[in-house]
Amino acid sequence: MRIPGFGILKGVRQTARNYWAPKVTNQYPESRPTMPDRWRGRLDLIYDPFGEHKCEVCFQCAQVCPVEAIDMSGFDSEGRRIRYGMPEIYDERKDPNAYRRAGLAAEPMRNAARWDEAIDTAWLHHVIDGFGGRPEALVAIFSAIQERYGYLPERALRQVSDEMTIHWAQVFGAAGLGGFRLLPAEGHLVTVCSCAACRFAGGDELLRTLSAELGIEPGEATDDGSWSLEASDEVAAGAQAPAIRIDTLVYGPLTVAQARHLVEERKRADARGSRPARARATVATRES
Amino acid sequence: MDWSLVLGLGRFLLATTLILVLTIPTAFVVIQLELKIIAGAQLRYGPNRVGPWGMFQSTIHGFKVLAKEDHIPDQADRATFTLAPWMVYMAAAMSMLVIPFAPGAIAADFNIGIVYFFAILGLSVVGLLVAGWASYNKYSLLGGLRSAAQMVSYEIPLTLSVVGAVVLAGTLNFRELIEWQRAHGWMLIWQPVGLGIFYIASLAEINRTPFDMVEADSELVAGPFTEYSGMRFGFFFFAEYVSLFIMSGILVSLFFGGWLAPWPFPDQLDGFMGTLYGVLWFFIKTYLFIALAVLLRATLIRVRVDQLMGAAWKVLLPLAMVNLIVTAIAVVVFNL
Repeated sequence: MRIPGFGILKGVRQTARNYWAPKVTNQYPESRPTMPDRWRGRLDLIYDPFGEHKCEVCFQCAQVCPVEAIDMSGFDSEGRRIRYGMPEIYDERKDPNAYRRAGLAAEPMRNAARWDEAIDTAWLHHVIDGFGGRPEALVAIFSAIQERYGYLPERALRQVSDEMTIHWAQVFGAAGLGGFRLLPAEGHLVTVCSCAACRFAGGDELLRTLSAELGIEPGEATDDGSWSLEASDEVAAGAQAPAIRIDTLVYGPLTVAQARHLVEERKRADARGSRPARARATVATRES
Repeated sequence: MDWSLVLGLGRFLLATTLILVLTIPTAFVVIQLELKIIAGAQLRYGPNRVGPWGMFQSTIHGFKVLAKEDHIPDQADRATFTLAPWMVYMAAAMSMLVIPFAPGAIAADFNIGIVYFFAILGLSVVGLLVAGWASYNKYSLLGGLRSAAQMVSYEIPLTLSVVGAVVLAGTLNFRELIEWQRAHGWMLIWQPVGLGIFYIASLAEINRTPFDMVEADSELVAGPFTEYSGMRFGFFFFAEYVSLFIMSGILVSLFFGGWLAPWPFPDQLDGFMGTLYGVLWFFIKTYLFIALAVLLRATLIRVRVDQLMGAAWKVLLPLAMVNLIVTAIAVVVFNL
């Protein structure tokens, strides 16, 4: 016999039971998911069993992409280097955006002073050759440039773009995101991540500690210009909260003591005078 | 100088102020309950960051609303646009005046408390209609009309379902009704059909799932409140949750013995302790019914609008009529 309302009561009983059932939410900053070793957190082209890219550079994906986010270069079946699209359009539209992402005024290409900055083209060619011109090595090449000049001169980036056949917009975009500097550097830049996850995991405490350690507030630089401190939510530390970045290196997860130790270590290295402060950049491998 | 008049006036002012102040934490608690229980039913944790066990999440939401921009559309009728949230909120707050929390803890002990309650309840419909009209937006207006259609329809079975209880107890005063229930057992035993009709109609009256087509969070923007933002919207939102508390409180007072404990009320407890004991039981029962309403929201899907109207006019209204007539005949025949 069917009693009206009985089915509703059964439903309510089910929801009430669910209330006490184990929960499925992953409490992120406190409990971390275990990522597979090969997880890279980004899309990649796949290889065939012979070690060749499966991508045939047919540009079909680039043609249908509504926001023109896809852009590629490669070798056609004749072994010729090819590049999709009209470079001038990409350059003109994307360059100012790349600059804005890097926090600079748009249209810096007309900045003659920086454009004329002399760089060692033979050395840079050697570096790029050393990495085999592989686009994956872009960040490592940037690190090498920054280690030499203290920042990434625009001319060097132009040369990277030309020699590696990577679009200027992509080169510039990559340079703007990962803790590289696009202007001559002054000392060390310490960036404390202020994303929600890092703050839950104690990022504020790190910021206070480092602020006290260096004697400056976030957004300031020390009087001698050897240290500056900032809080930013684009340290891009992945699942390493709480994280800080010193120049190009990302560290995390850190305790307060570890963060202080990292800064003191650099101070000691500077005091030894092994390198001038402005050139003391690093290789861009991330600590895991 | 008539001191009793001054005393009465002072007591009234104090009581109304207390009731008005009470609505705010009540709304916070009910919203928090809803966030937590629905999250639990969906196998989530729900808010657990703000304060211990996340208990201040809804409070933070409330203060966030205060800080938001308060936008009035260009073509809106400013006077009524600003008045509408106030009307809806005051309808909720004013009906709280007659809620019998405990012996001696009724803000206004009217001898026509039940009539007053249902009269004030009708005011929120006016507020919603005014909100829809003043927004100068056809969707808001449609939303207002929908809410008026729903709430006016359900007010009739809602009111009729209570008349049976009123005939039985022979009083329109909430306090006397609860005293009657102490002597004769809870109204639940005498008026099970009335209780069923009242519960369904009260859910529809305060726009709770499964009858929440007025706001329909998941599909419509916000029904009649589409153009509202900031604290003006906050008032509508608060009123919704205060009404849930009020409806549960009235349900408890009418059918579940109000402040009475499930076992016989100890006679030696009167004065302040009696009030405390009554308040305790009233809140326990009321929040049980709020929790039930929230669980229903987590369980049920929304009914169609034709089902909603059909249920009101073809099922609930005749049923309420029959219930009333049977009760009246029984009262005469058995001389209750």
